[in-house]
Amino acid sequence: MKQKITNLLYRFSFALIILAALPSFAQDSKGNLVRGQVVDSGDNLPIPSATIVEQDSENRTVGGVLSDIDGNFAIHLKNPNNKLLVSFIGYKSKVVSINGKTSIKIALVSTITSLDNVVVTGQKKVESGLLNIAERNKTTSSVTIKAADIANSQAASIDEQLQGRIAGVDIIASSGDPGAGMQIKIRGASSISGSSSPLIVVDGMPYETSVPADFNFGTADDEGYAALLNIAPSDIDTITIDKDAAATALWGSRAAGGVIIINTKRGGISAPKISYSFVGTRTKVPDALPMLNGDQYSQLIPEEFMNRDGVPLNTQNIKEFQYDPQEVYYYKNYSNNTDWTKAISQIGLIHDHNLSLQGGGQRARYFSSVGYYNSKGVTIGTGMERITTRLNLDYVVSDRIRFKTDIAYTFSSTDRNYVNNFSDSKDKDLLRSVSYGKMPNMGIFEYDQSGVLTPNYFSPAQNVQGGYPGTYNPVAMAEFATNNQVSNRVVPHFNINVDIIPQRLISTFDLQFDFNSTKAKSFLPQNATGRPITETVVNRASDVDVDLANISTKTNFIYTPDFGEKQNLSVLLSLQSNDSRYESHQVITSNTASSLLTDPSNPSRTQNSELNLYTSNSQTRTIGSLLNAQYGLLDRYIVNVGLRADGNSRFGQENRYGLFPSASARWRVSGESFMQNISWIDDLSVRLSYGQSGKAPKYDYRYYNVYGNFPSEYLGLNGVYPQNIELSNFRWETLTGKNLGFNFQMFNKRVQLDVEIYRNTTKDMIFQDLDITTVSGYSKMDQNVGTMDNQGWELGLFTTPIKTDKWKVEFNFNIASNQNMIREISEYFPNESGNTDRNGEYKRFLQKDNPFGSFYGYRFKGVYTDKEATLAKDANGNVITGPNGQTVYMRFNYPNTDYTFQPGDAIYEDINKDGNIDSRDVVYLGNSNPKLTGGFGPNIIFNNQFKLLLFFNFRMNYDIINGTDMTTTNMHGWGNQSTATLSRWRNPGDKTEMPRAVYNAGYNWLGSDRYVEDASFVRLRSVTFSYSFGKKLLRSLRMDEVRTYLTADNLYTWTKYRGQDPEVSMSSGPFGIAIDNSRTPPTSRFSLGITTRF
Amino acid sequence: MRTKIKSILALLLIFVTATSCDDYLDLRPEDGIVREEFWKTKEDVQAAVIGIYSSLLKKPPGAQIPTNGTDYNISEYLFMYGEIRADMISPAGFVTLDQRDITTSNILSSNDLTSWAAFYRVINYCNTVIELAPAVRESDPTLSQAQLNNYLSEALAIRAYLYFTLARTFKDVPLKLNATLSDMDNFQLAKTPQNEIFEQVIKDLALAEEYAVTDYGNIPSNKGRITVYAINAMQADVYLWTDRYTEALTAADKVISSGKFELIPASNSWFSRVFAEGNTTESIFEFQYTTQNLNPFYDMFLQRPEFIASPVVLEDVFGVDFADPTNRDIRGERSSLVAGTNEIYKYTGLNMDDRKSLQESDTHWFVYRYSDVLLLKAEALTQLDRGAEAVAIIEDIRTKRRAISLTAQIVNPASKSEVTDYLLAERAREFAFEGKRWFDVLRNARRKDYDRLDLLKNMALISAPADQLQTILAKLEDPNSHYLPINEYEMYTNKALVQNPFYK
Repeated sequence: MKQKITNLLYRFSFALIILAALPSFAQDSKGNLVRGQVVDSGDNLPIPSATIVEQDSENRTVGGVLSDIDGNFAIHLKNPNNKLLVSFIGYKSKVVSINGKTSIKIALVSTITSLDNVVVTGQKKVESGLLNIAERNKTTSSVTIKAADIANSQAASIDEQLQGRIAGVDIIASSGDPGAGMQIKIRGASSISGSSSPLIVVDGMPYETSVPADFNFGTADDEGYAALLNIAPSDIDTITIDKDAAATALWGSRAAGGVIIINTKRGGISAPKISYSFVGTRTKVPDALPMLNGDQYSQLIPEEFMNRDGVPLNTQNIKEFQYDPQEVYYYKNYSNNTDWTKAISQIGLIHDHNLSLQGGGQRARYFSSVGYYNSKGVTIGTGMERITTRLNLDYVVSDRIRFKTDIAYTFSSTDRNYVNNFSDSKDKDLLRSVSYGKMPNMGIFEYDQSGVLTPNYFSPAQNVQGGYPGTYNPVAMAEFATNNQVSNRVVPHFNINVDIIPQRLISTFDLQFDFNSTKAKSFLPQNATGRPITETVVNRASDVDVDLANISTKTNFIYTPDFGEKQNLSVLLSLQSNDSRYESHQVITSNTASSLLTDPSNPSRTQNSELNLYTSNSQTRTIGSLLNAQYGLLDRYIVNVGLRADGNSRFGQENRYGLFPSASARWRVSGESFMQNISWIDDLSVRLSYGQSGKAPKYDYRYYNVYGNFPSEYLGLNGVYPQNIELSNFRWETLTGKNLGFNFQMFNKRVQLDVEIYRNTTKDMIFQDLDITTVSGYSKMDQNVGTMDNQGWELGLFTTPIKTDKWKVEFNFNIASNQNMIREISEYFPNESGNTDRNGEYKRFLQKDNPFGSFYGYRFKGVYTDKEATLAKDANGNVITGPNGQTVYMRFNYPNTDYTFQPGDAIYEDINKDGNIDSRDVVYLGNSNPKLTGGFGPNIIFNNQFKLLLFFNFRMNYDIINGTDMTTTNMHGWGNQSTATLSRWRNPGDKTEMPRAVYNAGYNWLGSDRYVEDASFVRLRSVTFSYSFGKKLLRSLRMDEVRTYLTADNLYTWTKYRGQDPEVSMSSGPFGIAIDNSRTPPTSRFSLGITTRF
Repeated sequence: MRTKIKSILALLLIFVTATSCDDYLDLRPEDGIVREEFWKTKEDVQAAVIGIYSSLLKKPPGAQIPTNGTDYNISEYLFMYGEIRADMISPAGFVTLDQRDITTSNILSSNDLTSWAAFYRVINYCNTVIELAPAVRESDPTLSQAQLNNYLSEALAIRAYLYFTLARTFKDVPLKLNATLSDMDNFQLAKTPQNEIFEQVIKDLALAEEYAVTDYGNIPSNKGRITVYAINAMQADVYLWTDRYTEALTAADKVISSGKFELIPASNSWFSRVFAEGNTTESIFEFQYTTQNLNPFYDMFLQRPEFIASPVVLEDVFGVDFADPTNRDIRGERSSLVAGTNEIYKYTGLNMDDRKSLQESDTHWFVYRYSDVLLLKAEALTQLDRGAEAVAIIEDIRTKRRAISLTAQIVNPASKSEVTDYLLAERAREFAFEGKRWFDVLRNARRKDYDRLDLLKNMALISAPADQLQTILAKLEDPNSHYLPINEYEMYTNKALVQNPFYK
């Protein structure tokens, strides 16, 4: 295997060398002396130390000299037909042809004057890595954003800054902790399971962001990939988001989730420019939900326990509620009023420094940057540190050959709480949720037997609430337990661009390596959990190493024949390959001798299913070739067609290759003669596109039946077992997209309107780990399960209502709507989810041709005030009597559960009036798919110095389940509850909406409309005020730019939702609903930034 | 010049594309073996057979769990299926909601204990050996037919035992006898009636007996792997379930007459030899947990207790002689349980004084012990109207176990019902917490069209919470309620299945 890669590499390097050397074959040298003088064109004074370079016909540098103090120079020309390029800092470079002259005088023009008559010509083109097509000729739906436009808000990564800015692009953070990833969805989830993440292309090459299959050490889940973070936002020049399938089809097999093309900054021809920027941010968790204090809690629990079956809580055994001053130890330790959530919170601080240098001359250009980012999270024990460096070099060998070498290196170190377990999507922030439920009458620090406060954290092995992992002392956990992840990533990228036939046939070759090495270490000391020293959760140390190595190549040939003015054609042939290797080593051991020995290399134990030594490695290869042509006629009719073939090593031979065609067209209506008279229209175009892209499965080698080893012996012998079902019938998932778009530019480009209507159909959806009958011997299998549609529309409006010399006001608005529905599904796919016989669950059905996100449950009607109220009544309101004339009381789920409702229990509406509350009383409650999402905001600029930027985002018309309300008012366990429960039912006759407290019994928190709320909102996402220093001041400071700004994020939210944060993402899949379990509103942030350039 | 460039360009194109795509994309795992490379030597067959045993002890690494399911180890299921619905255990502090629901007969098809995934997983490993091992002889001539047969016998017997357990727990279950290899296979199998499952078990055991090993050459293997005696013990058991008492008697007698087993006389070291150490002459088949592969019960009964002995066990089952505390049934206090706390002690005790530490928690799971065969024989004798012989066996065991006179019963050997009561009481003492109780009572209750349904009801009277007693008694009237429902997960993944009518 390895040899093959090396072989391939050799071939490439060989090819590169040949190509680089090619034009030099045409060289022949002949001595020829030329003398001359370089002078300033204005005052005719000589310019010393000017550079005089001899160039051949392709502008390749052949030789060069410097002028002396009198501006004189002498150069031996290698070829009399060559030209001289004369340049000096502060002057415009000049090319002089020799034409046999032996003496020459060259006058250079100062750039200070030359700047005045610069006319920007040409069209805006953004490097895409494939055919570079001017914005106005694009036949597909894509949006390009200049990073400078969004550089104000404080964010560790560019994805966070893009949040809400682009119609149809949904970005949601997976957690508020530093270093947590973002979930990006372009036009809804294209896939029914797993990740719908877009493909990221950085400087023309795909950038690996996927998380390896068995990467499960509590860092990031599939969707929240933190990898994008590794590009410093300040290094980014432009971001282009390709939304429709015709555009993404060109990237083939990984592009079904959309494509994000990021270009980093490069040096231009200029004197060295140094920029430095600093942003400091203060973040704070707003006040959380008010919870019961220790005294109120100690009243609730005995009442709750007693309500179960009339047996009082025995405080002789359960001393946590005894409150007996004679029992000094328990009395002191369990008579506190602790706010656990507050105890684990802190003020977060972020500082971000970026220093960059860019510049260059005719030949070489450079951009180099160093960034340092340090963030302290709002929870004790969380933080992130990152160093990013980047060097982008361009060297122009000649007009025909250009080299680019980019090297990016990122170091990051992320601290998390030990208990944040990202592998399970249900509990993203265990520490915080434990702190909410933690008994508030417990103290943080322990009192000893004589009642003296000690400096030790109070961590009993267990108490009435249980022990680790259910509960623990959150402060001790945050403080002592560690979970650190360090990653080093180096991405060298080499590119050579050769014009084989100038202007006509251009070729580029890219070679990119990507090495990513991650080390995750965690340690759970005894004093964080208080568990007995023999248990394997004590002093548990883990060390995980993950190495990823990626080699990608890309070879492009672009042919642009000359058809004259009226037509243009570009044809691209692109060949791409990727070889990706992954290796991991994992060690988890427990019971090291001391809480200070935090490394698994210390003598420790592994005999337990959770503790293990584990290694794995895998390799994936892909190849792709693309043929793509863009044809334009009369600037009005533009057609683009493409065909991409992909091969992927994750499929068996039968299904290994995929073919993804695309076609798109643009008709510039405004170019037609009948539109010529309408002068206020700058551009009116209609676009139509169709394309396919594919998706490969996540795991390697699934088309083999793999045998694995048992970790332990049986009777001294090793056992082997088949690990999986051989997947012979597994195919590509293909996304077919259709898009109709309109571009409308009016009033001198002051108003720009983009409208898109689309439908994306995903066929042969790959469902990872679909349940199969366990009769097969396996529980899950990857399958192609059906067809799903994503359809919707998007509208983006960019306006500049005011534009005067002093004032400029811009107003941007975007709005989108997306619907997800199943068109066809495997019969083995579960068609419902959720068990309404249990507390806390909602029913969801999978209905073909209906949008996702609907949920069903009971209707909550208050609380039974007394015994009388629980009598069962029929449709006429008469009391139901049994066959023997006995009175019948309302029951739950007869005959299976057969619970009789008691006074103080929640009333659910008996829809069918049979005196029995069961699944037949379940009704439609809501849908958590927002009808509309979007953002808007004005940018007000005065004098080009003062800027006020406001940005709002919104979601309209959707219902979410207030999971927080549910868990903090269910009064079902030992967990602490919110102060809302103070109004609970206690005695017959009490009229309240809050049912009685019952320990581990009753059905007071069935999934009902009690927890369903309309969560539409409009949020003032960010406010930025920025001030740039005036030109005069800058000149006196000898600086080019000084800008300071103040940004506030998440200032205010307008909503009817009673919970903490209405912005809740819908979990993926057909049963996804939005449940708000966050008990903490989003952190509000205030940042102060400064950017300087000199 | 142009042509030169063009020719070089053409060359380059060839360089880049010439690598054969298929070779380039054909990757094989480096850290696992694929089926095409496995099944070549006799060592491979052995490793696959050992894999079956390992999977009985612990689930294999990376095995997936059904959605919303909890995957217990086979030994835990065997414990729970045998005890959780019976009268000898009670929920303890760490019991899960689903476990508690079963103890209160509030059984729903969503209950995760109704998942049979772990059983079919091992059945598939057995099927794989039975299907693919015979071909190994072609590539490895050193694998003799006898050796191959021995391996097949182990796979057949384990598969039979698992189907036997499934049929006793779920009644009708799908019968899959071929290996699952590729996603082209059909897994949509309908249920096979319980009696047909039993027939298949009998058939498999007969073949296994023919192929079986009598002696592996060392004691741990003789107790930890399937021998002919383990097969005979299973046969005795399954014949009793199918009311074939003569065959049951014959099978039991095969074990007894082999002369390889005997009961160990009561002494202070009896508990520690039979249970804490295991592999004694009393033992026929035990799951061999070791200090490298700890049993799951330390956690289940001691560290985070999910179950304790029910409060009646000490006094009603073993009896307490208040006059003479030293007069104790050797199987009771500090053997099966700890007096006072009702902690289940059998799997965590080192000897009658100390518990094992977590690191040495290697107590085996006892599938069949010699006393089981003796009492199965007694049961067969009872049904064959040889009650006196049955009572003699019971009395012999009682003597050897120092059962106290308080628990002795004077029974009329001619009365099947009286002998059965005595037999069940003795089995409760002998196999306390060994996953036998529910099946013992059910087996005797269901005979002759539920002639002894009272046995199940009496059990409910002891164990049911007062407020649910009537409901539970009413439920027991329907024989279908004696079996667990098919998990809802199976229902939607296998359209051919029909739910047990009691749970519809």
